[in-house]
Amino acid sequence: MSSLFDLPFEPPEDPQPPAEPVPEPRRILTVSQLTARIRNLLEEQFFEIWVEGELSNCKVWTSGHMYFTLKDRDAQIKGVMFGSSLRLLRFKPQDGLRVVARGRVSVYGPKGEYQIACEHMEPEGLGARQLAFEQLKERLSASGMFDPQRKRPLPALPRKIGVVTSLDGAAIRDIIKVLRRRYANAHVVIRPTRVQGEGAAMDIMRGIRAISRVPGVDVLIIGRGGGSIEDLWAFNEEVVARAIAGCPVPTISAVGHETDVTIADFVADLRAPTPSAAAEMVVSRKDDFCARIDRLSQRLGATMDARVHRLEARLRTLEARSGYAGAHGRIAMRSRHAAELSHELRRVMRAQLARRERVYHALRLKLETFDLRRRLESIRTRLVAADGQLAAAFTNTHHAHDARLRDAVARLESLSPLAVLARGYAVCWDAGRTRIIRDASTVAVGETVRVTLQRGELECDVRGGSASAATQPPAEPAPR
Amino acid sequence: MATNPADHMDPTIKDFEAALTELDSIVKKLEEGDIPLEQSLQLFERGVQLSRFCHARLEEAERRIEILNERGQLQPAPSSLGSDATATGQTSSQK
Repeated sequence: MSSLFDLPFEPPEDPQPPAEPVPEPRRILTVSQLTARIRNLLEEQFFEIWVEGELSNCKVWTSGHMYFTLKDRDAQIKGVMFGSSLRLLRFKPQDGLRVVARGRVSVYGPKGEYQIACEHMEPEGLGARQLAFEQLKERLSASGMFDPQRKRPLPALPRKIGVVTSLDGAAIRDIIKVLRRRYANAHVVIRPTRVQGEGAAMDIMRGIRAISRVPGVDVLIIGRGGGSIEDLWAFNEEVVARAIAGCPVPTISAVGHETDVTIADFVADLRAPTPSAAAEMVVSRKDDFCARIDRLSQRLGATMDARVHRLEARLRTLEARSGYAGAHGRIAMRSRHAAELSHELRRVMRAQLARRERVYHALRLKLETFDLRRRLESIRTRLVAADGQLAAAFTNTHHAHDARLRDAVARLESLSPLAVLARGYAVCWDAGRTRIIRDASTVAVGETVRVTLQRGELECDVRGGSASAATQPPAEPAPR
Repeated sequence: MATNPADHMDPTIKDFEAALTELDSIVKKLEEGDIPLEQSLQLFERGVQLSRFCHARLEEAERRIEILNERGQLQPAPSSLGSDATATGQTSSQK
């Protein structure tokens, strides 16, 4: 276009038709007046405008204000940003950055300059966004917000699963679908929010705060489906990062696709590559839980079964060794006691039998001088009583005990003189029944003797006898 | 499942996770053996109790999808979201 001026040899044709003569009265303005009118015009016309361009000559003065030039290929405009606005920027303006600035045009009369007084500025384009991202990441990281030790574990089995996302996208449907599949009776609480565009970040921040206060919500999924970097930008905003960091329950970020990384991902306790993946992380399959519990229960039962079997085997060995039948439980629980008991029983039994044998011997010695029947009777009662005592003392009486006891009594009885009398032998006494006659020579003919039979007694007169000293072995009595 | 069963059937069981962990350790302990019979019976009983608790907790959660609106109220989600149009009246019965 400027070529117009580069062609001096061809004077430009005047493209305009000759102006009609306008009889306008000449009005002369002072410079100040003109400047005032220009100011009025510009400041009215460009009261709030957005302008994009590249920053240059950025300089922050000691006053805190920043002066800069905003330019594109063909033009430039001076600009100023006051400290109060500058502090609110979430990135650091630098030379070479492309920015979008909002502000108004103002005119500085003394220098005849106009400039843009900037109230807000944001980086423009991918590179600039990346820069803002990096700057925020660096700052939050430095403040410890991404520290691994801040990461909390998710509950193994959440009571209520909170979800902060848009109701419109596929994300919420994916999440619900996966949750239903894995854990059919999952309880989900959704806080619908905008997830992109103006105000989305604030909305998400409020959503996180609100849903984390719902009783029972013990884990939170925050995210949205895929989109452009601009679409996902809300999740790179500091307010969202701070809300996640301040969330009282563990959080999972699930923004976009696997390759999308946002500030929210760094702050959250767990990063899921996609919303579906977040749903998978938040709860294991119910089936898996059930299987795990059942496996444990099975092992629990099996180990107890094995234990019982071992004990039963041990019990059987004990039973076999001690000859005890029955009393399973007691022996199992107190095998040691049982063994002692058994030992004691044998000892006592032997002692009792020995005593009875001694009693028997003593009896045999006194047999000639006592009333045998009465004596035996009393022994029997004592034996029976002792037997009873023994039985009472040891409830699990050894079978052999009884048998041997009865055997002893039988032996005692078989050897008693009464039994001898029953076999046909008789005892011969002197007339006064004071001594037993063993030698015929001690009795004179005509003397009276008494003969005790099994039943009854005879009074006999001696008519004669052989005084032979030979002890005749008593012939076996003739069978009756 | 009309009502939320008692959160804790047993005050000695903290939560699902703790119960599962304890059950795990009980099984291991029992499998290692060398525990007196009396004590192993107690552990066994505890184990059975824990596994019951875990199963109960798995069944306890309510199949429900709710929307938390701007005013902080819980409402049943529209069935288009995949919720099971369970118009269970009171939505804030949990409180």
